[in-house]
Amino acid sequence: MVSAEFGLNGKSALVAGDSRFWSKYVSVALAEAGADIAVAGKDSKKLDEAVTEVQRLGKKAVAITTDTTQSTQVQKMVEQAVAGLGKIDILVNAADLEYAKPFVDITEKEWNRVMASNLTSVFLTCQAVGKHMLKQEKGRIINIISCLAERGMINGAAYCASMGGVLEITRTLALEWGRNGIRVNAIGAGWPSETETTGAEGEEKLLRYLPLKRYGHPGEIGSMVIYLASDASDYVSGQFMYVDGGIMAHL
Amino acid sequence: MVSGKGTLEGKVAIVTGGGTGLGKAMALALAKEGADVVVGARRLEPIEQTAKEVRDMGRRGLAVSTDVTDSKQVNNLVEQTLSQMGGLDILVNNAGIVRGQQRREFWDITDEEWHLGIDTNLTGSFFGCRAASKHMVEQKSGKIINIASGEGLRGVKGNLMYSVAKGGVVQLTRTLALTWADVNIQVNAIAPGFIDVSALQPVVRQGFGGRMAEFNPSGRIGVPYDISSMCLFLASSASDYVTGGLFVVDGAGLAGGYTPTGYAPIKNLEEE
Repeated sequence: MVSAEFGLNGKSALVAGDSRFWSKYVSVALAEAGADIAVAGKDSKKLDEAVTEVQRLGKKAVAITTDTTQSTQVQKMVEQAVAGLGKIDILVNAADLEYAKPFVDITEKEWNRVMASNLTSVFLTCQAVGKHMLKQEKGRIINIISCLAERGMINGAAYCASMGGVLEITRTLALEWGRNGIRVNAIGAGWPSETETTGAEGEEKLLRYLPLKRYGHPGEIGSMVIYLASDASDYVSGQFMYVDGGIMAHL
Repeated sequence: MVSGKGTLEGKVAIVTGGGTGLGKAMALALAKEGADVVVGARRLEPIEQTAKEVRDMGRRGLAVSTDVTDSKQVNNLVEQTLSQMGGLDILVNNAGIVRGQQRREFWDITDEEWHLGIDTNLTGSFFGCRAASKHMVEQKSGKIINIASGEGLRGVKGNLMYSVAKGGVVQLTRTLALTWADVNIQVNAIAPGFIDVSALQPVVRQGFGGRMAEFNPSGRIGVPYDISSMCLFLASSASDYVTGGLFVVDGAGLAGGYTPTGYAPIKNLEEE
């Protein structure tokens, strides 16, 4: 149950571009709070899953097959979402294409794919949905990224750079659209895993290091998504909220 | 430093905690570049040694016994500097104490332990800035360098007062930088990583099993020169447009720190 303070009844959310496991959990959280959901991405299995869960909660759900790295498709996605739900109050970007390689081995093609998936897609969706929100004079954009937006990691240059780029889009749009009723924030997920809580034996060192001694579950960002989507967060913009089990506090 | 020798010629510097470790390294580095140096610390013998080494370089060197937790003594340090050296241009608030409360429960920390950590690491810097400020504002120039720590930016277990105080030093630095930005006083902080000086050895050994170098992305523990060279930059006119900054010198320790494995396992993209 979501308290009325954070309620999203009558709101419409577009959850876009998932390369990992976020769309189902984000969609369910927003629907639990009362929102109708359009979920968009390449993987129709993921979309169907999210739609089924949302419908089970008695909320309207629309699946949109799209490639968020292509501007024409993004344009179409926004049109379909508006056609299906009437408007878009909330945009959640959750691309998160994972990739790691020694820097010298990264091919230009791979670099471009990571950037297209994680960064350019956010540019395109924010621009297309932003135009819609600017007309509404209201909107919420939530970018789900990794805490690696603010840390480096060996083998992580492309991924970290793409995440850092989204964080700066977040901050910039918060400023640029601050007087237009649009709030833009990012959630930093720290070590999320859908299946593991304690990790394999070889990761014992990692677990000793995580202050909460376990991986996060993707569903655990749900309440932060709801907060940032709700009217309760109207004075919160340009921020990077960690849901990371305390890892970013660590030296 | 940038243009060669003598960039601090004619300048007078105070370095607190200048008898040992980083403080001594910074005092000697400032002297090497031409500054006259006053060192303050509780124990007289080590600072007299530093002052002697400063004089051996042909600069004026002075040792003033100072407990930075006592504002009267800090005021005296500045007064002695002004009367005996005839000026004050550079203040390095370096005196600190690394004494964790390892194996102690939070509720067992005594008032005295709290005050020792906060008074030495944070209030001491405040006292130093306050004592030097009137003179610097009136002469419309000054360089203040506060020694913070990576622990002032991120948490560690079992080193509470140090982390809290160093976080305070960062904010003291930013606030004073703004306060005096228009009177040509630059206030900056250095956050050293693990530096190989004797005072830090117990922490290095206890906290990281003596394998600190292994955990650092650069593969080595810092040396005092790593910090003193930054100190020179911040003390010289090379940094006149630099204020309110926090300069991390830690071999990339804080750039990572997301995982103790230190790297991401290789993950390829799926075929499209």
